[in-house]
Amino acid sequence: MSARVRVGVDVGGTFTDFVLVDEARDLIFTGKRLTTSRDPSDAIIAGTERLLREAGRAIVELDSVVHGTTLVTNAVIERKGAKVGLVTTQGFRDILEMGNETRYDLYDLALERPAAIVPRHLRHEVSERINAGGERLLPLDEAGLRQVARALARDRIEAIAVCFMHAYRNPVHERRAREILNEELPGIPVSISAEIAPEIREYERTSTTCANAFVQPLMQRYLGRLADRLGGMGHKGTIYLMLSAGGITTVRAAREAPIQLIESGPAAGAMAAAYYGGLTETPGLISFDMGGTTAKMCLVEGGQPARAHALEAGRIRRFKKGSGLPLKLPVVDLIEIGAGGGSQAWIDAMGLLKVGPHSAGAEPGPVCYGRGGTKPTVTDADLLLGYLSPDYFLGGEMQLDRQAVERAIDEQIAQPLGMSVLDAAIGIHSVVNENMAQATRMYIAEKGKDPRRFAMMAFGGAGPVHAYGLAQILKVSRIICPFGAGVTSALGFLVAPPAIDLVRSYVTHLDSVDWAAVAKLYAEMEREARALIAETGADPAAITIRRSADMRYVGQGFDVDVELPDGIYTRPSATDFQQRFFATYRRLFDRWVDGVPVEVTSWRLSASAPAPTVSLNFGGHSAPTGAARKGERPVWFARTGLGPCAVYDRYGLAPGASFAGPAVVEERESTVVAGPDTRVTVDAHRNLIIDIG
Amino acid sequence: MHVLSTTRPNDFDPVSLEIYWSRLISITDESAAALVRTAFSTIVRESNDYATVLMDANGDSLAENTAGIPSFVGILPRTLRHMFERIPKESWRPGDCIITNDPWMATGHLLDVTMASPIFHKGKLVAFSGSTAHLPDIGGSLWSADCREVYEEGLRIPPVKFLREGKPNEDVFDFILGNVRVAEQVRGDLFAQVSAQQVCARRLSEFLDDTGIADLAPLSGALQTRADRAMRQAIAALPDGEYRSTVLADGFDEHETRIECRMMIDGDRMHIDYTGTSPQIPRGINCVMNYTHAYTVYPVKCAIDPLTPRNEGSYRSMTVAAPEGSILNPRYPAAVHARQLTGHLLAGAVYGCLAQAAPEKVIAECGGAPTTRALFSGTDKAGHRFSQIIFASGGMGAGAANDGLGATAFPTNVGAGSIEAFESAAPLIVWKKELRQDSGGAGRRRGGLGQDVVIEVASDEPIRLSVLADRVRHPAPGILGGQPGAPVDVVLADGTRPHPKSRSALKPGDKLTIRYAGGGGYGDPRQREPATIADDVKNGYVSAEAARRLYGWTG
Repeated sequence: MSARVRVGVDVGGTFTDFVLVDEARDLIFTGKRLTTSRDPSDAIIAGTERLLREAGRAIVELDSVVHGTTLVTNAVIERKGAKVGLVTTQGFRDILEMGNETRYDLYDLALERPAAIVPRHLRHEVSERINAGGERLLPLDEAGLRQVARALARDRIEAIAVCFMHAYRNPVHERRAREILNEELPGIPVSISAEIAPEIREYERTSTTCANAFVQPLMQRYLGRLADRLGGMGHKGTIYLMLSAGGITTVRAAREAPIQLIESGPAAGAMAAAYYGGLTETPGLISFDMGGTTAKMCLVEGGQPARAHALEAGRIRRFKKGSGLPLKLPVVDLIEIGAGGGSQAWIDAMGLLKVGPHSAGAEPGPVCYGRGGTKPTVTDADLLLGYLSPDYFLGGEMQLDRQAVERAIDEQIAQPLGMSVLDAAIGIHSVVNENMAQATRMYIAEKGKDPRRFAMMAFGGAGPVHAYGLAQILKVSRIICPFGAGVTSALGFLVAPPAIDLVRSYVTHLDSVDWAAVAKLYAEMEREARALIAETGADPAAITIRRSADMRYVGQGFDVDVELPDGIYTRPSATDFQQRFFATYRRLFDRWVDGVPVEVTSWRLSASAPAPTVSLNFGGHSAPTGAARKGERPVWFARTGLGPCAVYDRYGLAPGASFAGPAVVEERESTVVAGPDTRVTVDAHRNLIIDIG
Repeated sequence: MHVLSTTRPNDFDPVSLEIYWSRLISITDESAAALVRTAFSTIVRESNDYATVLMDANGDSLAENTAGIPSFVGILPRTLRHMFERIPKESWRPGDCIITNDPWMATGHLLDVTMASPIFHKGKLVAFSGSTAHLPDIGGSLWSADCREVYEEGLRIPPVKFLREGKPNEDVFDFILGNVRVAEQVRGDLFAQVSAQQVCARRLSEFLDDTGIADLAPLSGALQTRADRAMRQAIAALPDGEYRSTVLADGFDEHETRIECRMMIDGDRMHIDYTGTSPQIPRGINCVMNYTHAYTVYPVKCAIDPLTPRNEGSYRSMTVAAPEGSILNPRYPAAVHARQLTGHLLAGAVYGCLAQAAPEKVIAECGGAPTTRALFSGTDKAGHRFSQIIFASGGMGAGAANDGLGATAFPTNVGAGSIEAFESAAPLIVWKKELRQDSGGAGRRRGGLGQDVVIEVASDEPIRLSVLADRVRHPAPGILGGQPGAPVDVVLADGTRPHPKSRSALKPGDKLTIRYAGGGGYGDPRQREPATIADDVKNGYVSAEAARRLYGWTG
């Protein structure tokens, strides 16, 4: 493949981040601009032009733009999408509203549920029925459906979702329904559940299909405009989109199933972490990305982030499991908790110190920003503990107000709790670390793993500040802090492979599988996956295919992800599958059960092309000067208390440099904190490697 | 580990306490995850009928798992004390695990198994791990309220050593597995509990190593004192006085039941007395005192102190009494299998009293209290045995500011499962599962809607149906001028009605309709905003006819 110029763009809530890779010159350029929420393509165009200028490249030389966006997730959170009509099987229009019927908070009598994406009067039923075996019990009432179409037209709906019972098993009625709706309502996009989320469990499938319809008109408009504007500038290359599972896809595929883009930003972060894992030859990593409002943790093993088959979006009670919309789609498996630099400290009804999940965000921000924030935050505590410098925040662009912080912490935390201001700051820092540690430990334990066997990669503005404290609680002994922590995520767009994950539900006991049906499922999925990947321009011969299945003991409700071999399956495959299931089950739960039959619920296929490689040679940054040590200031560590600590300039540290902690290393977007029991080394890519103990 | 610069040993400042407690809760959560992810019991999975608890060396609770349901709140420490009476604490060895399912010692029916294990650290007994979970089977009549004595309801296991120094006590195993229908699943679930307790013990040892804490009792004391203080403040904010309420229920056939509730608030203490409640009946809806206590204090906390994290201290300021020999405190050997049919009604009794003291804090009675459950079992066309519960709930009662949630259970918390998964596991076709129009009690705030579920038998042979329901004759009343919700109805296509608390047979082709009850309304329906009524009519939650008749709607 010839040397290319590629740009990665991450449209976040506040900032749009850019990374440009110039393969011929082996250089990387980075940039950052404020997101233009009214039309995000404004910032994209302006930022791309500027980066090309800095790199000395013309737009016609730009091969590809890889893009991720929070547009989908924001539309779901703010419920600002299309007016959607839903068509369901007779008797099931309320599944979307009833959901799983549980209360996500056991003590709240005035609990609210997230509003259904489609209100009841826009949910229509038609007579039709497929059973669990995929057989037709009732034909599709086509005349009835045409009447529904007319009612939808009267209500001026902008998109339609169709979800019929057991359509994952037999999509014939949904497909016919789409044909009819297309005839009756030309130009209105129709999402059918058998294509958007072909998995058993009607609520989750309906929810996903409706969410897709909800964001589709918006994303179709946006993607169309972006392509037009880039084309108008003279861009002749390709635009790719990042999927929630960390693969990239074409604009055409993204327009069909835009809901798949919902986690594109976090997925890029995880892909970047995976890339750094390979670069630093670290087999197992906990990616730790802590920003202003949240912290995200993701396990990366063997160069791949953990993946899941579902997520919950648009939670109405922040971070409360069950308060959002379930989506069945392939996604990078990460946890996100309400712990960030802006997380506010408060005292609960028991008189205990709490931190988060409420956040001061960027506006008004922490007290120390002096922009009107009044409640003490994590960043404020970090300032008092010496981790942050009042004079070198954002590279010195913003002066931090230490006195205001002391006053706020004293009045709101220290006095009510009867402790010193220093102790209150220690408390805030420790409690937020503890929150993150407990969430991380739980997340890792559910995978049957032990955090001690992993290194941690810290990025985001607050990640490198808190990584040392977090690592101590989790007994992680190595921290990796990449160079340019502020744009690490955007780099993920340029190291992601073209990839796609497909699924079909077919529930069957392992001893009575219809192997011909399974062969057909896999043949279909493989054909579809290869076509999609070929569309990205990848070499068809280089595509790799992996298969897996969701399996469990009959009677259980949680599936275990079991890797399957490639090839043709026959009767004896059942024994092999069972052995694989036992092995996986034992790895996760330390035991297995004898004498209970095993079943498969869903069959999965992942296809990917090779990932591009990027060398980390940051253009636009001067070579390290060697004059790294800036001075000294008092910094607090649990072991030593508040004591003198060396301060280094990240940009002066050359590869190979090494020093003992305690140390604080300052860079523009963040500060790396290394405790007294550490050794810090700068590797060949200017990453800081912190070894603890 | 000392978190703060000035911390002294055993002096728990608000930072250390927060950190220690969140770690202990995380230990029980990790332990619970090990249990629930491998459970065969659908009740554990869909209904969260399980708990994992960490107790100090005295048997006082330190932490409970976050998602555990209220029926198990605070019961494990009581069960542990019963275990000590049978097996003195001194004779508990490392690796031991004691088991019991005695309804009076534990959670009120035989299907719930409770286990406890001692945790030793550096040779010293420092704590106990405990767990309770609902088993798929315990022998006996299984899923019926029609038994006359507990003996018919299955195998009763007195406190015995299930594991001795880490090794299974094979005699106990053989007894249990010899009495159940699905021995391998029961074995799997019992070991899921054992693994959960092992996780708890392992993680607690790490905690003790990390923190250097040797004795957990001061920590549990400090945590309980703070929870106690928060609850006392909440009670003290209520007007002192004595408040009464009555809840009527279908009971069993001719034995209609009545709950008489008297709540006395005196300063920072609350006493709840059920004198006057119906005597126990020779059917399985009697509710043991442990369960009565749990379902009395939980709704109080929801109403007046919902935000404080709970622990045993939360309930120290409350006392609960029920006459011995009543349906709320039955004598052995009363039948108790479906004790939830009585126990879930206590929330309504408590709120009936509390409404007089703090009307803005309560909700009307719930259609989903008690839960309406139906179990279908038999043999499918391929000859496989099946046993499937349809999970669905009635509507919640309305509150001062909110309409009741439709199809949501309270005071328990039951998930709905999936109809597609249900149909994949049993020869049954569900033709309908939808909200039930006009079933929410009218009120300024409307009760939550119940739902209608229609199920057809698609097997070749007759199957067994077990229904456990109430509210057929006694719908959920409204409160403060609100109207009652619609009652439960369980009816076949030919108009016949299977017994709502017993076992019956269904033929192939039979179509069963289960109508789940609506929640009660709150306040005068004539005060409901016209725009809100119009929205209810537009969406079909309320029919235009009912809107005119009950709300005086003129649209």
